[in-house]
Amino acid sequence: MTSAAAPALPVRWPVLAGLVAGGVVLGLATAWLSLKNSAAFGAAAGPWRVSLLAGSAEADLYTRARVAVGGLLALNRDETMYYIAGTDSQGRPLRSRCSYRISGTPPRARWWSLTAYADDYYLFQDAQHRYSINGANAAFDAAGRFAVVTGPVAPDTPASAWLPTPGDRGVVLTLRVYNPEPALQAAPASLLPPVIDAIGDCR
Amino acid sequence: MKPALVPRWLFGLGLLVAVASATHLLAIWALPRVIMSRAMATIAGERPPAPVLAPPTDHTQRRIVMPSPDLRYAVCVWDVAERPLRIRATLQSLRYGSIALYAANSDNFFVINDRAAGLSPIDFVLVGPKAYAGMNPPPPGTQMVTAPSTRGLLLMRVLVGEPQADRPTVDTALASLRCEPV
Repeated sequence: MTSAAAPALPVRWPVLAGLVAGGVVLGLATAWLSLKNSAAFGAAAGPWRVSLLAGSAEADLYTRARVAVGGLLALNRDETMYYIAGTDSQGRPLRSRCSYRISGTPPRARWWSLTAYADDYYLFQDAQHRYSINGANAAFDAAGRFAVVTGPVAPDTPASAWLPTPGDRGVVLTLRVYNPEPALQAAPASLLPPVIDAIGDCR
Repeated sequence: MKPALVPRWLFGLGLLVAVASATHLLAIWALPRVIMSRAMATIAGERPPAPVLAPPTDHTQRRIVMPSPDLRYAVCVWDVAERPLRIRATLQSLRYGSIALYAANSDNFFVINDRAAGLSPIDFVLVGPKAYAGMNPPPPGTQMVTAPSTRGLLLMRVLVGEPQADRPTVDTALASLRCEPV
């Protein structure tokens, strides 16, 4: 005696393949968006953001991935803290065709430097190698404040330090703080943030 | 005909979410490892673990993101799967100098700077996460550092405040780096 088997539901392979492919695309897209969302990245001091776990073995999956994309081979915060700004102090995205004046007091640390990067995280082209100011070459006013101008053309005041940003693309400013004092390590948001002001018209 | 236990549309939605979630997590997990692997292959070329001295940083450097124009770098790509690695360097009379070790997943699991080293040369042995068969224990007093992965990268940073004045001490420090299998 034979029994009739229940009819199996037909597998629609094209639909199945479409769902898998859609899932892969959706997964990659959400991964990219989660890495792009720097607002979720550490503490803030004015327009500057700093990761609390960059370079650390305690970093979570997302921090590790963000650091690998935008700051591979970072040191942990005992050694160096990396404050990163992609907007001016009014919250407007930094553009290389615009000029900015960055001013502030030196961070509480053994050493510091301020570097302008293009939005691909590499240095802007400059034949004279003007990429950064640091604790050794920055000029200070009577109040102990430094100032530097970034932009596509040299500032009108020749005495001002200038970091050229040719072209028309995003700008990423990085303030490196080497061997920060323990108080700053413990409270990264307590940094007196350098002010980033747009000056003049954009080219 | 019996109704299906799970409606087709719900099965499809579940499959989509499951594949998307797995892909998302896999991409986030794999990204630093892939980037590190590419960086190690690019930097080391054909001669690991011999130190590679990077030229002064400028805008033509496009191997590692966010290069610091204020630093000079020396790099060793290491593999301690079969043998430990002895690491030596001298970081004296510098504005700032450090030696940092990075695991295959990009974690900075060890760093020592010139202040911490004081007047002593840096000298330690890097061992892998698994014990070595048939290898004698290191001499007493040897500083040991255990890597969480068998492969990784050593990055020596030396700060250049004033290029002309700092050059002799910077060059001496960079040239002192040794990464030698034990």
